[in-house]
Amino acid sequence: MEIPYEVTARRDTGLYNAKIGVWLFLASEVMLFGGLFSAYVFLRIGTQPGIDNPWPQGVHVQMVWAGFINTLVLIASSVFVVFAWVALKERKWNVFRNWMVGVLACSGMFMAIKAYEYNSKLTKHHDVKLADNTILGGTILKNEDGVRTDRIRFDAESVTVDFTGGIPGFASQIPEDDRDGLVFSYEDREGNQRELALDDLDSWFMDHRRQALRDIADKRAKQRDGTWDKEKDRDPFTKVTLNAPFRLNASPRKVGTRDETTLNFHDRTVAKGKLVDDTITLELHSINLQMVPLQDQENVMAWKLIHDSTGSDEVKENFLAVRDEKLELVRSYFHDGVIPVKTLQGPMINYHDIHEKPGEHGHAHGDHGEPAKEAHPGDHGSEEAAHADGDHGHGHDVVIEIPRDQTTFVTNHGPRAGTYYAIYFTMTGLHGLHVIGGALVLAYFLLFGKRLFLKNPEHLANRVEVGGLFWHFVDLVWIFLFPIMYLM
Amino acid sequence: MATTPEELASHKKAYTAVGISLGVLTVVTLALGYWHPFDLGVPGLDWTDITIGLVIACVKSSLVALIFMHLNHERGLIYKILLFTFCFFLGLMVLILFAWGNPIHEAFDAVRSSLS
Repeated sequence: MEIPYEVTARRDTGLYNAKIGVWLFLASEVMLFGGLFSAYVFLRIGTQPGIDNPWPQGVHVQMVWAGFINTLVLIASSVFVVFAWVALKERKWNVFRNWMVGVLACSGMFMAIKAYEYNSKLTKHHDVKLADNTILGGTILKNEDGVRTDRIRFDAESVTVDFTGGIPGFASQIPEDDRDGLVFSYEDREGNQRELALDDLDSWFMDHRRQALRDIADKRAKQRDGTWDKEKDRDPFTKVTLNAPFRLNASPRKVGTRDETTLNFHDRTVAKGKLVDDTITLELHSINLQMVPLQDQENVMAWKLIHDSTGSDEVKENFLAVRDEKLELVRSYFHDGVIPVKTLQGPMINYHDIHEKPGEHGHAHGDHGEPAKEAHPGDHGSEEAAHADGDHGHGHDVVIEIPRDQTTFVTNHGPRAGTYYAIYFTMTGLHGLHVIGGALVLAYFLLFGKRLFLKNPEHLANRVEVGGLFWHFVDLVWIFLFPIMYLM
Repeated sequence: MATTPEELASHKKAYTAVGISLGVLTVVTLALGYWHPFDLGVPGLDWTDITIGLVIACVKSSLVALIFMHLNHERGLIYKILLFTFCFFLGLMVLILFAWGNPIHEAFDAVRSSLS
C-alpha cells in the first residue's frame, strides 16, 4: 500500500508527514529532558550546606577530558549526519555511506568513553564518610588476599537462618575458593543430624519456609480457637543453625549490627564466629571538610588517621594552609571581608593540591561556595582525571587504614554517593540510551537503505533527515549536560 | 528545502562553519571551567561563571537547532509546535522557584505550629 506524503509535502502543512511526526516526538523529548534539568537545578539549589552531602563541582570529581572529548565527538557526528543527508540529496550513495560510517564510529566512541567513565566511578572511586562528617575520597584497596577492604572479613563457625526472614544472602559473600564442596551440618526438627550442600541452600530454605509459614498459620488458628496445647503441639520450626567453618567477606550493605563474634544480616541470618578484620584501606585522593565547621577542621579524626599512616602532620598543615589561602582570596572579593554564609561551605581539597604548599602554585586558589577551580593550565583538574586508569600522576599517594566503626557511610561514586551522582547517572544514562537508539536507526538506513535509494532516493533522504533531527537533538542535550555535570 | 547544487554547496559551507564554531565554543567553555586565567568573578565557581557557561551553551544549541536542524527556514507549523513546547518547558523551570523560596517547608511549618 502506498503511504501518502512520504516524499511530497501535504498541502495544508507544507511538510512531509514524517517531519511533523519527528518534531512532535522531539517536543515530548524536550519535556522529558526539561523535567530532568529542572530536577537537577531543584536538587542543587535545594542542597542545605552542612546538612546534605555537599554538591561537588564537576571539575573535582569528573574526568573532564572524557566529557570534553565526548562533546567534540558528538559535534563531529552531527556534522557527519548533515553531510550524509546532503550526499543523498546529491544522489551519491558512496559518499552517504562514508559519512554514515563516520557517524556510527562516533557514536561507538562516545559510548566506549561513557562506559569507561561509569566503570571508573563504580569500581575505582570511593567516598568514606567519617563520624565527624569528613568525607575522604579515594580508592578502596584490596588486601593481600585480593579482597576489597570495605568488606567485613569474618571467620564463621555457624550461621543461623531464619525461615521467616529473607532468602539468606550470606552464600554469595563466601569467597569462591571456600564455596566448592562446602557442606553444612544441622539438626532437623526431629533432632536428626543432617547435611546440606551450599548449592542446595536456596531450594532447601524455600521448602522449609513454606512449611514454617504453614506451621505459624496453624498455630495462630489453633490459638484463636483455643485448641493450642502447649505441651502437645510443637512450636513452628523457624530457625536452623548450620555448622561449618567458612570465610565470609560480607558486604556492609547486607549487614546490620555486628560485634567481634556476631554478624547480623538484614535478612535475619546470624553468623557466629570471629571478626578477622574490619579496617578499610583507602588510597587517599581528596579531603572534603565542607560539612565540618571551620573551627573544628583542625581537629578532625582524619588527621590522626593520616598521621598514623605517614608519621607526619605535613598533610594537615598543608591542607590548612591551602584552605586559608583559598578563604583569604575569596574574602578579598567581598568589600567587608565577610564571606556570605551561603557562599562558604569550606573547601574540598584534592590531595595533590596539598603537596604544593601555598605560594608554590604561582597563582592563587579560590573558593566560592563550591570547591575551588583548578588553577594552572595543564594541571589535571579533576580527582578522577588525576587518578583514573592507575595514573596517579603525583606519586605522593597516602594509604590510610580506617576502622569501620569510625565511618558512617562508605560508597563508590555510584548513584548512592549523593544527589549529584544520582542525577548524573539518571541524565547521562538516559542520554546514553538515546545515543544507542539514534545510532540503531541510522545504522538501519546505512545497512538496508540501498534498495530504497535505488527506488526513491528522495524518500531515503527524508528518512535520514528525520533520523538526523533526532541525532542533533541528542547532541543538543549533551551541549548542556557537559558544562553542568563536568564543569560547574 | 534546498535542492539545487548551488544551495547544497552553500549548505555544506554553513555546516562546516557551524561545526568548527561549536568546537571552538566547547574549548572556551572548558577554559572557563577549568583554567584559572579564565575564572571570572569571585575565584572559584560563581554566578558569573555559571551565567557565561550557560549563555555559551545556549549559543551552541541555537546553532545546532537553526543550522543543523534547519529551523532557520522551516514551515510555520513546526514553530507553532515548538512555541507550545517552550511554554510547557518554562513551566518546568518555574518549579525551580520552589527550591528558592522554600514554600513547601514554610507551609509545612505553618501547619505544624498551628497544630502545636
